[in-house]
Amino acid sequence: MAKAIKTVSTVVSKVEDLGNDTKRFTLVDQDDWELPPFRPGAHIDVHLGQGLVRTYSLCNDPDDDRRYVIAVKREREGRGGSNFLHDRVEVGQPISVSLPRGGIALDQEGTNVFLAGGIGVTPFISAIRHLERRGRSNFVLHWTSRGRPVLTDMIASAIEAGRVRLYDTTAQTKPVIAAIVGEFTGSGLAACCGPAPMLKAFEDAVSAWPEERKHIEMFTPPKVSARSDVPPYELYLSASQKLATVTPDVGLLGTLDALGVEVPVSCGGGICGACRTRWTEGPPIHRDRVLSIAERQNELIVCVGDCAGQRLVLDL
Amino acid sequence: MDAIAIDEPEVTISWQGVVRFLHKTPRAFLPMRSFPSLELVAGRGIEGDRYFVGHETGFYSHKPEEGRQVTLFEMETLEALQRDHKIELLPEEHRRNVTIEGVPLNHLVGRRFRLGEAIVEATRLSTPCRHIEEILGKSVFDPLINRSGLNCKIIAGGTLRVGDAVRPI
Ligand code: FES
Repeated sequence: MAKAIKTVSTVVSKVEDLGNDTKRFTLVDQDDWELPPFRPGAHIDVHLGQGLVRTYSLCNDPDDDRRYVIAVKREREGRGGSNFLHDRVEVGQPISVSLPRGGIALDQEGTNVFLAGGIGVTPFISAIRHLERRGRSNFVLHWTSRGRPVLTDMIASAIEAGRVRLYDTTAQTKPVIAAIVGEFTGSGLAACCGPAPMLKAFEDAVSAWPEERKHIEMFTPPKVSARSDVPPYELYLSASQKLATVTPDVGLLGTLDALGVEVPVSCGGGICGACRTRWTEGPPIHRDRVLSIAERQNELIVCVGDCAGQRLVLDL
Repeated sequence: MDAIAIDEPEVTISWQGVVRFLHKTPRAFLPMRSFPSLELVAGRGIEGDRYFVGHETGFYSHKPEEGRQVTLFEMETLEALQRDHKIELLPEEHRRNVTIEGVPLNHLVGRRFRLGEAIVEATRLSTPCRHIEEILGKSVFDPLINRSGLNCKIIAGGTLRVGDAVRPI
């Protein structure tokens, strides 16, 4: 049966302990092939096995297309992702990652004001390297950290050029975000990535700004192929006697996947018919270009399908 | 009533095309790299490509699809996308191995033809894949329906080079 590969296979080529509970991981293709491209400030999901998936910003230069570099701070109270990476991941280990998503729409002319808290600097590192490679200096980074900041080696030239303002909160007070962005109300882009109170202060400070001039770094969920606009419904698989709720963000195919049901998927867009499945209760919503009206009476193309009612029963 | 004999003219499609670009990639999602030549192996595929039989690392991990040993794409489709949809799709972006010009791919399903010094047999038309939009960030799925290229198996192998002729047997 066709089982779609959903991740990019990489290998850990380097692990660096940077101190301050932070490790930097370099991921490459096993044959040093180019990796799928990413935009400045983009992030990837890192699949750590047994359903453990964590999202990290890429911090290398997007033009450096043979590596994905992530920096991970150990979250002692965290849900296990950072501890797994710190304790169990070594050079040579295979790691699956998603295609890169997201990114910062940098201002070409005006100043890009980056506000980072601790490890939240990572998306701005790739953005700064992207700008510097193009010979541009229209950015400034305000970076707060508790104690010595790590990753400074990746933006050494920007620090040298005086475009990075560091605040060590063990020795000095935190910067006032409203005052920093207040200087740029007329033009440019402001972007923030850091702990929740910092994001809140930033949101308040730029609340009156137009959307395209501000960026709050949040990890965006992967796009689902069947962008669903229907309310959640119950899904019952009669053959395997499994029950789940389909929500718009996961979608029908995502839910089938999560239930561990293997449906052959090829085009993922409702044109090839590989995923046709029998249904007995619905009615389903058909969005394919494969089935005839007669076939739709008892079959559904699940890669783009949904349910118009409260309960969909599939013969799986 | 006597049947009226109608002389049906024989239709022969005559064409001759040329290989413009050659690409391969070793694994799913990785960018395609351009090469001046590719090694076609009969019954197996392109050396080093993700669909090489016995080494499936393409999008479908468990499907050694024997009809997909080499895939072709029309240069004319790239031009049509630009002209009709204002989408610039580059030869390395359509993710098929051989970009050809002057070959009516949609007419060739089920036929054998020469690809450079190799002989291939067209098994079916390719279908576009939703993932291509995700990989490229370009809305090409709909415009590529019915012109997403041709899947072939390799009957006689050989080296295929950019500039080689593609012609009927
Ligand atoms: S996978 Fe092609 S129609 Fe669903």
